Amino acid sequence: MENVAAPALTFNRRKIKIFLLDHIIEVCLIVLIIGLTFGANGFMTWANWMNILRANSLKGVIAFGMTMVIIAGLIDLSIGSIVGLAGVIVAVVCRDLTGMGIDINVACIIGILICLVQAVTTGWLHGFFQHKTGMPPFIVTLVTLNLFLGLAGRLSGGFPIANQFPGWFNQLGGGRIGGPNGIPIPAIVLVVSFFIVWFIMEYTTTGRAAYAVGGNPESARLSGIDVGKTKIIAFVIVQILAVISGFMTAGQVMSGTFSFGKGWELDVIAAVVVGGTSFNGGAGKVSGTFVGVIFMGVIGNGMTLLNIDIHTQYIIKAVIVFLAVLLSSYRARLKA
Amino acid sequence: MSVLQIRTEHITKDYPGTRAIDDVSICFDSGRVHALVGKNGSGKSTLVKIFAGAVEPTSGEFFLNDENLHFNSTSDAYEKGIVSVYQEMSLVPGLSVAENIFLGRLPKKNQAIDWRKTHQMADSLLQQMKVNIDPREQVSRLSMWQMQVVEITKALSFNPKVIMLDEPTSALAQNEVRNLFSAIRALKDQGVIVIYITHKLQELPQIADTVSVLRDGKLVGAVQMNEVQQKDIIGMMFGEVKIQNRPTDIKVRDELIMEVRNFSRHGWYQDVNFKLKCGEVLGIAGMLGSGRTELLRGIFGADPVDSGEVIVEGKTYTSANPIKMVKAGLGLTPENRKIQGLILIHSIKDNLCYASMNITADGWLENKRKRNVFAERQVRDLDIKVSNINAPCESLSGGNQQKVVVGNWLNTSPKIMLYDEPSRGIDVGAKQQIFEIMWAEARKGISTIFVSTELEELLEVCHRILIMRHGRIVDEIIPDETNVNELYEICMRGD
Repeated sequence: MENVAAPALTFNRRKIKIFLLDHIIEVCLIVLIIGLTFGANGFMTWANWMNILRANSLKGVIAFGMTMVIIAGLIDLSIGSIVGLAGVIVAVVCRDLTGMGIDINVACIIGILICLVQAVTTGWLHGFFQHKTGMPPFIVTLVTLNLFLGLAGRLSGGFPIANQFPGWFNQLGGGRIGGPNGIPIPAIVLVVSFFIVWFIMEYTTTGRAAYAVGGNPESARLSGIDVGKTKIIAFVIVQILAVISGFMTAGQVMSGTFSFGKGWELDVIAAVVVGGTSFNGGAGKVSGTFVGVIFMGVIGNGMTLLNIDIHTQYIIKAVIVFLAVLLSSYRARLKA
Repeated sequence: MSVLQIRTEHITKDYPGTRAIDDVSICFDSGRVHALVGKNGSGKSTLVKIFAGAVEPTSGEFFLNDENLHFNSTSDAYEKGIVSVYQEMSLVPGLSVAENIFLGRLPKKNQAIDWRKTHQMADSLLQQMKVNIDPREQVSRLSMWQMQVVEITKALSFNPKVIMLDEPTSALAQNEVRNLFSAIRALKDQGVIVIYITHKLQELPQIADTVSVLRDGKLVGAVQMNEVQQKDIIGMMFGEVKIQNRPTDIKVRDELIMEVRNFSRHGWYQDVNFKLKCGEVLGIAGMLGSGRTELLRGIFGADPVDSGEVIVEGKTYTSANPIKMVKAGLGLTPENRKIQGLILIHSIKDNLCYASMNITADGWLENKRKRNVFAERQVRDLDIKVSNINAPCESLSGGNQQKVVVGNWLNTSPKIMLYDEPSRGIDVGAKQQIFEIMWAEARKGISTIFVSTELEELLEVCHRILIMRHGRIVDEIIPDETNVNELYEICMRGD
């Protein structure tokens, strides 16, 4: 019997190891929070936590859509430019339509609708061209990254367009529910968008198709799954979330600026990857991304509270992302 | 020329929980082809990996002539002149034939690559193999069998003492197999020890001098080829054999389920016409490159078609795609299950339910309970050996993976099943189970089109066999009225 028991034991230890590695980010996050609670003054306060949420919701909202895109075996680099463009479009529409005598609320809603139409169109075009031509999604969205950055710059004349929004639009980004120390509205948007994307990925055929398409597009296609449609839906969802993030960003600073969101794609991708989603597609969890967003937020907040200068913060973030990805490749190897 | 010898003495290899090789003592000498056979999991690939330096034995020793061998890596084995050609291709598609053969050791002149010499050397090796392949050709433009030949040529370029061929004919057509065999005979005449691993027992009389059979890690027999019959070998492989014949109770009904009319795709198949009846098992035979796989994919809508139409239950499809054809009641188990049929990193359960996604869901909402029921049903009905249906599909053996591909389709309640080489790379037991599934479905009135390189299989399984040659259907035979030799002959006529 002993030669049966021995392998069983190693198997269990391997299982525990895999479990720990599967939840490595959660473990690290808890350790980090405990450390900062005792090490950094003012970390474990309601106000500080609301600040973390407020500051990280803008990118976090997009990260959920990006998770879906990466699970489907794709990538969208254009989201940063879309954030800036959305703010500029709403600001320009508000300014010009009120100049023509139209009510500012109506003007703002028209601006929002234009942005949403643009998001759907862009997502559709990404999916259509990527799928029909087989162009790498990296290239397709790199093109639109530059295209929309340029368009937003032209549209705004290269300057921030300030103080054009109605009050409720500013509240989208800067408002809180329950007084000055209440829950920030972007945090609520973050939670709502998390639940929507999580529901799509877990409970709809579209979500399962996204996993299949990312796992093996040829097998998915030969199983009768509509690969093109699935890709388009993923691209559209991340674009809509980027536009919503753009509204909140513009509202928070009460201005539409073309360079808002520049470089965000990399932070968003980092949060997704830290959350355990595989860059090879086909595997990952939206809940992991939520943890990834909070994790990145807590690190940034903690470093600021500890008075670590901005340049060192970049270096520390780089090391952390590297370690997270290293551990997840180790996990993948251990499982194989 | 002195006789070389590779031999093992009481080799044992233990893996956690299993003994892959159990006290095997065996000896292979040069100048002969030694076939190594056994069903999947019998330990033959472990034995080969020990020779190749990829695996270290737990106990026992092995020798090349009288030198005791200890390998730390595969490059140690290469240095001793032991090379292997694996089933999975290791060629770089973007490089030329000659570059692939001499990868990492291209001849140089004054620090620069000497291309003229590279091509000359490659050319002479290829001529030794008696094939007409341009050493300058890019590998991605070669056909499957040419790639296999390049792979073997690469092994040959190491001037090996021992060359191990793992299923070298699995992707080759009959005439190409003959070319390969003549090259292998040339090899053994040069005094090389050839170890030949295969599933295709019918090849053995043509190429093997001895045959060694492994079962459950033990050597159950090592005999001269001319002293045994195929059924003796099967007996050694399986202990007891049950060779299945097509059951007589499957009756083809009179109603037509599908008709293919004037179906053409330039360069692959031309003007194909045939009809399929309810409950019929229709075989398509043909050599590699005859267009049989492409025809099947065309019918399923997986590839574009130039002209022609498929009529399923009276409805005509001209520019089909898999989405439409799945709705029409077709299912396809593709040629390469790992690349085209499965999502290996996903669970067995998910892989069993991708094609039936819209059936297991309530509208656009997932119904996880229903999905479980569907997956469990196939695991039970197809006797898929799983410990946990949430384990990734890559953890399954080849035969069980193939059953998952089939189960994925049976969950859609198909009317017509298209099988492309369903028995490739799986053991005889699993193969029989796949055939029994086909028959069971035929009894329910489901029609089947079955494409296979193994003509014996077609004769065993089908009601009717169409013969394809150069993209055209040239003949139609009834299995009861013919035998394998005749069928081979018809397939190859005119080549």
